[in-house]
Amino acid sequence: MEHSGKIKKDAMILCDHVSKSFVNGNETAEVLKDITLSVEENEFVVILGPGQCGKTTLVNILAGLERASGGEVTVNGKKVTDPEPERGVVYQKTALFPWLTVEGNVGFGPKMAGVPKKERKERTKHYIELVGLSGFEKSYPIKLSGGMRQRVGIARAYCNNPSVLLMDEPFGHLDAQTRYLMQEEVERIWSQDKRTVIFVTNNIEEAVYLADRIVLLSNCPTTVRNEFKIDLQRPRDNMSSEFLRLREEIGRHVEMTR
Amino acid sequence: MRKKIRFQNTKAETAVYFCASLTGLLLIWYLAVRYTNLNKVMPSPFEVFAFVGSSFVKNIGSRILPFHILASLKRVFVGYFLACIIGIPLGIIMGCSRTGKAVIKPIFELLRPIPGLAWIPLAILWFGIGESSKYFIICVSAIVSIILNSYSGASQVDPILTGAAKMLGARPIQIFFYITLPSSVPQIFAGLQVGLSSSWMAVIAAEMIRASEGAGWIITTGMESGNTVQILSGMISIGLVGLLLASLLRLMERGLCAWNIQGK
Amino acid sequence: MKEKKLKYTLISVASIAAFLSVWYLVTDVFHIFPSSTFPSPVKVAQAFIRKLTVKTPDGGTLATHLAASLKVALYGYLLGIGIGVPLGILMGWFRKVDLIVKPIFDLVRPIPPVGWIPLMILWLGIGMRAKATVIFVSAVTPSIINAYTGIKQTNSVHIWVARTFGAKSLETLIKVGIPSALPMIFAGLKVSLGASWMALVAAEMLASTEGLGYMIQMNRMVGKADNIMVGMITIGLVGAMLTWILEKLENKLVKGGRTK
Repeated sequence: MEHSGKIKKDAMILCDHVSKSFVNGNETAEVLKDITLSVEENEFVVILGPGQCGKTTLVNILAGLERASGGEVTVNGKKVTDPEPERGVVYQKTALFPWLTVEGNVGFGPKMAGVPKKERKERTKHYIELVGLSGFEKSYPIKLSGGMRQRVGIARAYCNNPSVLLMDEPFGHLDAQTRYLMQEEVERIWSQDKRTVIFVTNNIEEAVYLADRIVLLSNCPTTVRNEFKIDLQRPRDNMSSEFLRLREEIGRHVEMTR
Repeated sequence: MRKKIRFQNTKAETAVYFCASLTGLLLIWYLAVRYTNLNKVMPSPFEVFAFVGSSFVKNIGSRILPFHILASLKRVFVGYFLACIIGIPLGIIMGCSRTGKAVIKPIFELLRPIPGLAWIPLAILWFGIGESSKYFIICVSAIVSIILNSYSGASQVDPILTGAAKMLGARPIQIFFYITLPSSVPQIFAGLQVGLSSSWMAVIAAEMIRASEGAGWIITTGMESGNTVQILSGMISIGLVGLLLASLLRLMERGLCAWNIQGK
Repeated sequence: MKEKKLKYTLISVASIAAFLSVWYLVTDVFHIFPSSTFPSPVKVAQAFIRKLTVKTPDGGTLATHLAASLKVALYGYLLGIGIGVPLGILMGWFRKVDLIVKPIFDLVRPIPPVGWIPLMILWLGIGMRAKATVIFVSAVTPSIINAYTGIKQTNSVHIWVARTFGAKSLETLIKVGIPSALPMIFAGLKVSLGASWMALVAAEMLASTEGLGYMIQMNRMVGKADNIMVGMITIGLVGAMLTWILEKLENKLVKGGRTK
């Protein structure tokens, strides 16, 4: 079950002793401390962290939006320095472009890459269907509900055909009902079209439901505390006794990290 | 159900009060002119309406009222257009590039406090009393708010959106065209609106000082000949056209910024 | 970080220096523009000093014109905000007032303040009263609009809280409505100030025997561009100064910041 985080040097994503601190005047705030983890191809890794600090910073470093103060991140052996289309991000605040329709948002990446219009249209259509938003192609984000916006965000990331998907608490702003629904959706979409996923959350149940492996972080400065392999059959039943047992066990560890 | 009925009531109430308040105003105006000494300096509302009506066929000065309005509108159009094509790019450069901001902002801040209308004497000295001095004054009056709003629009682009665009593979030039520009459109429009009403005001002022036609000319000649009917008719036309211009722009905004308008 | 800031400050200083030197080069050095219509910065500075004591050609020194303008402007402005802000607050708080006043206000509002000048001159002559009335008209509109919007935007939760604690309508207005509308009201006061200053210049250009607007208009007639520029710079400087004073006042009065 619990296994010590031994890193494989040939893993797809390699986070090698990453640390990050912010300097503000004379004060230095250490946010990430010596984070080391690896992710295999097509693995669904959930980063579970209780506190407020560090998780988004870690995602930003993985995405290339921020630089680590120490250590380095490599994807497929290549060092991460800038945001790149091979790493798609799904944001907590959706970060949809409000002036574009659903179609425009989903097709944004291919358009930037100069994909011909016809192919772009087909790809856009495919991913809008995949996330279940057919019929809303021409709607602006402002007209959509929170859950629907998050679906657009997922389709947008997928449509750019990244090998890695980074999801930063994507359901943090949703109500509980929609959240369950979206978890099922992510599971379904991922099973249909597998990618390497790093999914950040503070919700234990969500983590157990989605993860192949859970990386448990501690709070401020953030370090890797524990890793758990989840071997349950997919799609998972979050009322099954095995599920509940796992949830409780991990819950105890979360409490201990406080 | 209940909510709907109440909503209709509110609407009806507003309409009733609207009519009552305007009729009240007209009635007071009419009675005051009819029964007090005010008629020495003030015509009755009906005289004014009759004058506006007749001026569609009868010349004021050398032409009928609609042509005066058109003359003013043409000036506004040229001056305002100039302000847009100079102001929007300047504002956006200031908002996007720190160097651009460092170069342009101090000079802009130096000139900004001078009201547009204070340029009138210098404009006449530079460009003569013809059309170009009016274009200049209108442009100067409109450009300040256009620059300011384009600047704040372009500088307040949500960094999360720029990050998302980078993540999706947009290069810097693409980020400018596909993120910075569209996201500043609502702000730019706000500036265009203020700018348009400033230009309308500027053309009136410029025409009041030197012109042989136009809406501003109507009211000044009315003043010179002591014709209050003409002044009031001119003011009403000016107000109506100003309102029309503002609504036109709002309509355009509704078309262009549909994505920004709330409501499900 | 600090180095970068210094760099941009230097660019700004260079930019202003370049602006002034280009101005100087095209006038006094290369004489691209005749100095009668486009005087050099040096000439403008000389005219500025001269205008402090010399009364020709417009019948007053800079100080007398400035004093005349300030007097009229403050008179009209204070009257405008004195009536506009309370009216806007009443319109925003009491529905009946809103319903009655709003149609009239919306009718009069689209007429630019300078459009009132001829009527006011005809009615009140070219003295102080006509100008003050025009300034009043330009100051009153933004004051009303902003006070009105500020009150309308009062967080209804705050009102409910006040009501639950038993505050009456008038009390709620004074304790909750007005304080929460204060930032908006101040924004209106600033817009009003700019509009007043602009209207003042227009009114003085059209009909006056003193004031900064009159000064630049008279100098236009005798073709003294250097004096026009002195007038414009003074108008700009004083306008900026008045705004600055208002901002200081705002920082003192508006507590709790502008966040909503």
